[in-house]
Amino acid sequence: MTRYLLRRLFLMGFVFLALSLLAFSLGYLFPGDVVQNVSGLRPIDDNQRQQLISYYQLDQNILQQYLAFLGRITQGDWGLSFSSQQPLLHEIKLLLPATLELAAYALLLSFIIGIPLGILAAFKPDNIIGKSISALAMVGYSLPIFWWGLLLIMFFSLALGWLPSAGRIGVLYEIPHSSGFMLYDILQADINYRNEALHNALQHLFLPTIVLATFPTTVMIRFVRDAMLNVWEQNYIKTARAKGLNRGQVLYRHGLRNALLPVIRQIGLQFSTLITLAMLTEVIFSWPGIGRWLIDSIYQRNYPAIQAGLLVISTMVITINMLTEILHAFFNPLARRG
Amino acid sequence: MSKFRLYLEENNRSPVKQLWREFRRQHSAMTGLVLFISFFAISLLAPFITPHDPYLQVDELLLLPPSWSAAGLVQYPFGTDDLGRDLLSRMIKGTSYTFGFALITVAGALVMGLILGALAGMSKGVKSSVFNHILDLALTIPSLLLAIIIVAIIGPGLMNTTWAIMLALLPQFVHGIRNAIDEELKQDYVVAYRLDGANDWHVLSRLILPNIWEKLTIMATMAISTAILDIAALGFLGFGAQAPLSEWGAMISDSLDLIYLAPSSVAIPGLLIFTAVLSVNLVGDGLKTAILKRRQS
Amino acid sequence: MNLSIKHFVYPIYSCAMLSALLLLAGCQPQLPEAARSGLVYCSEGSPESFNPQLVTSGTTIDIISQQLYDRLVDINPDNGDIIAGLATSWQVSADGTRYQFTLRDNVSFHSTHYFSPGRKFNASDVVFTFNRITDPLHPFHLQGGGVYPYFQSVDWASLVKQVEAIDDHTVVFKLQRPDSSFLSNLTTDFAAILSAEYGQKLLAAKQPAQIDRLPVGTGPFRFREYQKDILVRLYRNKNYWRGDTQPEQLVFDIVPNNARRMAKLFTHECDIVSYPRVAELELIAARPDVTVQESTSMNVGFWAFNTQKPPFDQLAVRQALAMAINRAAILQAVYYGQATPAYGILPPTSWAYNDGLPAPVYSPAKARALLAEAGYPNGFTMDIWAMPVQRLYNPNALKMAELMQADLAQIGVKANIVSYEWNSFRQKLGNFEHDSVLIGWAADNPDPDNFFRPLLSCAARDSGSNRANWCDPAFDEIISEALLTANQQQRRALYLTAQQYLHQQQPLVAIAHSQRFQAISSSVSGVTINPYGGIALQHAKRVEP
Repeated sequence: MTRYLLRRLFLMGFVFLALSLLAFSLGYLFPGDVVQNVSGLRPIDDNQRQQLISYYQLDQNILQQYLAFLGRITQGDWGLSFSSQQPLLHEIKLLLPATLELAAYALLLSFIIGIPLGILAAFKPDNIIGKSISALAMVGYSLPIFWWGLLLIMFFSLALGWLPSAGRIGVLYEIPHSSGFMLYDILQADINYRNEALHNALQHLFLPTIVLATFPTTVMIRFVRDAMLNVWEQNYIKTARAKGLNRGQVLYRHGLRNALLPVIRQIGLQFSTLITLAMLTEVIFSWPGIGRWLIDSIYQRNYPAIQAGLLVISTMVITINMLTEILHAFFNPLARRG
Repeated sequence: MSKFRLYLEENNRSPVKQLWREFRRQHSAMTGLVLFISFFAISLLAPFITPHDPYLQVDELLLLPPSWSAAGLVQYPFGTDDLGRDLLSRMIKGTSYTFGFALITVAGALVMGLILGALAGMSKGVKSSVFNHILDLALTIPSLLLAIIIVAIIGPGLMNTTWAIMLALLPQFVHGIRNAIDEELKQDYVVAYRLDGANDWHVLSRLILPNIWEKLTIMATMAISTAILDIAALGFLGFGAQAPLSEWGAMISDSLDLIYLAPSSVAIPGLLIFTAVLSVNLVGDGLKTAILKRRQS
Repeated sequence: MNLSIKHFVYPIYSCAMLSALLLLAGCQPQLPEAARSGLVYCSEGSPESFNPQLVTSGTTIDIISQQLYDRLVDINPDNGDIIAGLATSWQVSADGTRYQFTLRDNVSFHSTHYFSPGRKFNASDVVFTFNRITDPLHPFHLQGGGVYPYFQSVDWASLVKQVEAIDDHTVVFKLQRPDSSFLSNLTTDFAAILSAEYGQKLLAAKQPAQIDRLPVGTGPFRFREYQKDILVRLYRNKNYWRGDTQPEQLVFDIVPNNARRMAKLFTHECDIVSYPRVAELELIAARPDVTVQESTSMNVGFWAFNTQKPPFDQLAVRQALAMAINRAAILQAVYYGQATPAYGILPPTSWAYNDGLPAPVYSPAKARALLAEAGYPNGFTMDIWAMPVQRLYNPNALKMAELMQADLAQIGVKANIVSYEWNSFRQKLGNFEHDSVLIGWAADNPDPDNFFRPLLSCAARDSGSNRANWCDPAFDEIISEALLTANQQQRRALYLTAQQYLHQQQPLVAIAHSQRFQAISSSVSGVTINPYGGIALQHAKRVEP
């Protein structure tokens, strides 16, 4: 396990190195003035320009510039946003919790719904329930998420008027900012309208969570179903059946554990899909998270923000991927090889 | 009564025929295939079969409702948009943009993936290790995010989107092909062939490629559905096809403003994207099942 | 059979279903007391700044000016007369170069979480406010870039010689020359009065930049918070001198997408929506829970050429392009008939309107001939910049651009449509990176000068609000002369000439004068629209249905 961990950590270090190189080069790849792209400050007068060039060591060779870049990133100086002229790291800190909150609930929902449905579909693959679950999974798997979100808004918000169409909470509720996680903030805020606010926040959460969870849920269903069917073919299951256990017992004692082990790895794999889909979901539901911010930054040609957004999202995705892989290896010694 | 047969001949048919037989048995897969072929045909024939010019703005016919409603016209089955352009023609034309470009994208990614994957699969040592790690990085970044970043650098537009998605799909192709080649290289018949004096190129072209094409096909179908969704998503976000191109995703975002006046102009392009992706997925699933069954039989 | 499956699955399901039901159950809008007297205005964009002196965009003005600030003088929205604001009365000297204002007593600046005023409003605040614009040594002059677009476009710095406080309640403006639009300019939303005491406090704290970010004014609402691209929250100013502010809280919910703004109105997430789409007016009017307010407004939507860039520096090219455009189609498809075609930039409601201007011609054949004459028989390629947002004067610039694209193709001109996010769009326009742009102008005051100088004078070119990048001394002379006299007949004659001249030179193609609409939830009353600028929300209140 130690050797495995070391190897993974080494790999992670390498991946981060490559990522930082990519992010570093973006400052030069983006169109426009490098000094502006790197600092985010604009407009820049000549005097400032000289200062900035020496601060960012742009007059040095490329290696020096890269090292200076690494130093700044680790110290938390990520430059300014073109559009607001505020420090990027500060903006990201405010926005990231909203995305994480949404993604976490969606992931949770996809597990809660996907795993049981997958098991159910595998249990009787050929009867009506199994087939309809598989068909449903196929439909969900093929839905363009932005269109699906729009349909739900058209139906639940516009036609029925049951649920709000945008945002994290009604704007009239003023929730003091502490952690950035809305539900937590509401619960520990000192306000006299806590229950109403909580109810309102949950209403706002409902549609985006469903939309974002759709794709991972269907992947989950298909994955669990296939894994279960696969396990079902294994000899140890046949042995167990031969010993006289009924299907339920076999499923519970032998099938589930072996079939669900790879699910841990799915968390990591799903997470990266989830983050991409979250960007679309956030755009559709005007969810004030990092995905919508990144898309807006692209509209605004806000290059420093695009760079920072890429760095944050990729770091997050890579870290979660690695963590789940390690977790998976921890439970499943077989995965430590290779 | 069946004839007496000394040998079981069934399995001596060509693999493609066997595969087709297994594939044909699945109704859903066949439906998917029919849809897929129709989309393909429409995207090829789009310039010839549109009933109207998809870009012609008819000032007298703004926001004509679909022909099934009372105010609609038979000549305009889906009605017109707010510039008086025929929606059916635009959707037909859109098939070439969304579906057709998705096919081109995947074909491009496949070719590049084959070359790089073969290089990676056949090489050994430090070079391969560095390459693999870079690949791992690219794999962890979701394809749509990667495509968005690329578009942010090279600017919006349908062609740029195609390049971006091609590049974004590349890592998974290279990864998949490399793994498949790796697996093949371990096979005894490869070793045997090498002992016969075959060089790398022979091994690759005579043994490995014929043996991994099934995997390639499945990979490609998965990639097509991703490509359709990504092209449409980028079009929807305004990074892909620009006005007046009638790419489906862009059509949805164009008609968002009309969601109350003409909900069908949002609903129908979305339905098309959905159907196209569904057809590809059905074919892909059917193929997977067919391959599995063929192997078992 | 499979008992264990049920055990495994059902609890999870019932749990999920239960929570889903709970969520959907209480869906009636249940607002707590604090929020019930609050109003939500869905705005189409974020404010660029919280100081009206620094901006020109109507979006920002709508959000900040009328709500946070007061002006020395205001306009009576009913008849266009100038009425008292922070100044109770004023006298003009006989030669028209000295204006003396008597200021209102007992007006307090906002008390907020970042500033509590130690004194009442007085003459030093007025001096502070206007010196910031003109005095290069003023500590805040360069703050925010040192550009005061509106004031530059009306040549304020060369007009105002001195602003002087005679005593606490008397201020005198000394002008270099008489200017008949001077009082009108003071009524605009840009001439908001800032607090000198707050300025000094910020200087002492070495945070001068805060003055435009955390505003302090005397208006009906005080600033609470701003989350970029999300919302602006204002609280009621309990000590407002006009005294009758209704909403406890006013939230500007920033929703750039038109369709989404309407959706929010229908789902009651917004009470007031700026610029409902004209296409949907009928639909909105049919709903019992929404009312549409219509008002005539002085505005013009136009297509401006960057007249310094070839080939648009050639008159024949500009005329050809103007002739290639099918306005009838645009009025129908973009304005849905809710606008009058524009012959010139001044709307017919203005007293200086020239009704002798010929109607614009639509003739692709003539246009092609003109292009050939100008040396472009095969046309050329150009960019049309289209605003990404809906504005009063142009409800859908992108769609207009698409129509024009097709029209221009007829005469061999290939047009590319270019659009950026609204703030970057204006920034790039200011740098004149465009070939041509679809934009427009809504009047800030009833004076006709408000259409000429800010749009097409040389001064406006330097301040960036002259989208045609056009500077013609002959034209400047006409409009400057019109300011020297207070005699309306003489002024009118000069403005008629100016309109005729513009018609000949065609630096821009005027397209339409639009009606202004506002969609308001039926449960809200008391919203007033100022025909010459922003929206006033101080009297708005929620009526219990």
